[in-house]
Amino acid sequence: MSRRVVVTGVGMVTPLGVGKDTFSQKLFKGDSGIRPITSFDTSRFPSSLGAQVSDFIPKDFISRKNLRKMDRLSRMAAASSRMAIDDAGVNMDSINMDRMGIILGTAYGSTDVSVQFAGILFDEGPRMVSPSLVPNSVMNAPAGHTSIELKFRGVNSTVNHHEASAETAIAYAASEIKRGSTDVMLTGGAEIISEFFFEILNRFRALSTSNEGSEEARPFDTMRNGFVAGEGSGILCLEDMEHAKARGATPYCEIVGWGMSAYPSPPTDWPSDPKGPVLAMTKALESAEIAPDKIDYICASANGGRKLDILEAEALSGVFATEGRRPFISSIKGAVGESFSSGGIRAAAMAVSIKEKVIPPTLGLKNPIKPLQFVLNKNKEAQINFGMVNGFSSGGTFVSIILKKIK
Amino acid sequence: MEEERVVITGLGAINSIAKSVPEFYKALQEGVCGIGPITVFDTTDSRTRTGGEVKGLNHKDIFPRKFSVKRMSRSDIMAMAATLEALKDAGFFPVPDELLEDTGVVIGGGAGGMLECEEAYRYYHTGMNKNVQFSSFSSLCCASSGDHIASSLSLMGPKTTFMTACSSGATAIGYARDLIRNKMAKVIIAGGTEPLSRITYASFNSLKAVDKEYCKPFDKNRQGLSLGEGAGIMILESLSHAKSRGARIYGEVLGYGVSCDSYHMTAPDPEASGAVRCMNAALQDAGVHHTLVNYVNAHGTATPANDLMETRGIKKVFGERAYKIPVSSTKSMTGHTLGASGAIEGVVSVLSIVYRFIPPTIHRTEPDPECDLDYVTEGSRKEDVSIVLSNSFAFGGNNTSIVFGRFTEKGVINE
Repeated sequence: MSRRVVVTGVGMVTPLGVGKDTFSQKLFKGDSGIRPITSFDTSRFPSSLGAQVSDFIPKDFISRKNLRKMDRLSRMAAASSRMAIDDAGVNMDSINMDRMGIILGTAYGSTDVSVQFAGILFDEGPRMVSPSLVPNSVMNAPAGHTSIELKFRGVNSTVNHHEASAETAIAYAASEIKRGSTDVMLTGGAEIISEFFFEILNRFRALSTSNEGSEEARPFDTMRNGFVAGEGSGILCLEDMEHAKARGATPYCEIVGWGMSAYPSPPTDWPSDPKGPVLAMTKALESAEIAPDKIDYICASANGGRKLDILEAEALSGVFATEGRRPFISSIKGAVGESFSSGGIRAAAMAVSIKEKVIPPTLGLKNPIKPLQFVLNKNKEAQINFGMVNGFSSGGTFVSIILKKIK
Repeated sequence: MEEERVVITGLGAINSIAKSVPEFYKALQEGVCGIGPITVFDTTDSRTRTGGEVKGLNHKDIFPRKFSVKRMSRSDIMAMAATLEALKDAGFFPVPDELLEDTGVVIGGGAGGMLECEEAYRYYHTGMNKNVQFSSFSSLCCASSGDHIASSLSLMGPKTTFMTACSSGATAIGYARDLIRNKMAKVIIAGGTEPLSRITYASFNSLKAVDKEYCKPFDKNRQGLSLGEGAGIMILESLSHAKSRGARIYGEVLGYGVSCDSYHMTAPDPEASGAVRCMNAALQDAGVHHTLVNYVNAHGTATPANDLMETRGIKKVFGERAYKIPVSSTKSMTGHTLGASGAIEGVVSVLSIVYRFIPPTIHRTEPDPECDLDYVTEGSRKEDVSIVLSNSFAFGGNNTSIVFGRFTEKGVINE
């Protein structure tokens, strides 16, 4: 019989706070994590806002021995992983560490470390670079550090696909549990804002600025003018259902299907035809063996970007009914910003939504671009039997994941 | 429901010893060394000067006319070159319209567009902001290669990019096998790509992991790896689809395994426990008893730590039979192509099955008493290879092993 995949724990380091309780309380209340960036001077950029992580004390979660070897990105990933395991109640002394793994999504990795490394290389020459910077400059560092900190030895991998990095990772992690290579799998995403990365986003004119109206994240809004950069990490603890049952765990929900697609698109830009995201959602519904009207809530990918939001709205209109029974839709990127591998945080939020029966609001959305059933500035209490998390990325990569309430 | 078997119907490769698969086969047979002075960037101030560079990479020789290479990095161009070769080889160029939604791309990357980004980094650091070509950063994310491939061929199937340093390409092939087996696609363009770049070169040199001459896998005096570049691509296809169109089948992806050392970020576990778990997981996934393996395509980087660790690992997996199985490191010829290596060596493994030969380990002149397996040092060898185990072990403790097999209707029969 085919193995089933359940979510038994979540952990996160986000602009809305650290840990499930703080995060979800603020998320459902409608607090925003977006504020003026303080970690570097933004005066030379047209944008000044960011959703940055504060109040994060890594030593509360990570041993000192390993902590001193980790950069900021790895600390967020390792701390979120620790929280997810604790939340799941996994006893690390009794489980088989060879059958526990991690698959992490990160789009750009430790851009702060890479820039530091490149700076020394070009200022002082190749013989002056420090070997101690090397381990953190590779994109698979956070997953590697996390496995060393938590001492598990199974499948370990890192994937990247711009804004869909974490959703791609979650799809692979679920597939690995189904394949039977692992029983417990940590998965999700981690990303940081560095000054360098912020400059690139400004140069690509991707961010909301006050040059054209006010600077704000406005997913699905007619007045949107770009996204607000975010950072943070969100990790899910996935588990083989039988494994979870055997140790008496109470899962949040089950991952019952996912769909992946591509569509021709200019580099780091968006296609205008919604066929790609339509395919991803349709394939997800097929793999979950449910009709579109079964979906109660969609955690959307929209971030306030000019092209992504209309692409997703058109795709949603194509797949789901526009009147009668139709899903609620919200995007939490109005509160946590666009962190590229935000899918970990958003899938964790979905798991909590299913359990708590609350849908978080879409901050910044006042005038919807399409007549879909958006949850605007206030949360909505609702029974969610099936939820969908969308991860759509520039360059034309689309992933949709379906989570189901366990009755 | 019976699971789909996954076969290989097309191959593409580019690296320091070949710009196509036929050239690659010939060079592997002859034991050609591609490691020499690096010219893509200035190495004057570096600790070492050599690497396995793809010389004379000119996209105009490779791509059809009017094919746009706008915003493609060196890494993207090599990936695209290997992809076009593999698609033509499989009889899929252009990809038929009815197959576009069922054709995916899974690529393993490394430095991605780093070589191009370096110029921008350099100006960024010197405060010469006006000279920064920020568009070059569009290829910073390794996903760029997969994006270019899917977009230029109008593919709409699943797309994933792995970035696990030296095991990326191998994991990509393994996951592509799963996607087809789980019926999420019928055809996948799977492989890996890696460019030489100053940052990678400086990184490995700062760790003193690079041999000043050329790498000497399993040699007593080995002093490290030689960095290389290139791309390897294979077209994976469901057996039923390959049969329905009467495709030529090169071999089968029988299984793969992934494990983690959980030991150290840049050094392998000397007891090889991660490598052993990975090789065993691959054999188990493939349903292959270890006695059936007749070639091990080693990770064989030529760092003192890796080669000793890998030799120990092979002994733990194969027992007494370890001494009788040919083990070779083709990195001795191509250099270590990091994110592409698992895929390029996947192509080597399939060629060894198709042409019934074992490529040699070159540059091993003085045996290391602790590395005492049959490393095929006398030149390539004729052998009826039917099942190959290919290893890729990476920084971060990421290990991936794949099992490739000769295709037979009945599949693997264990005694």
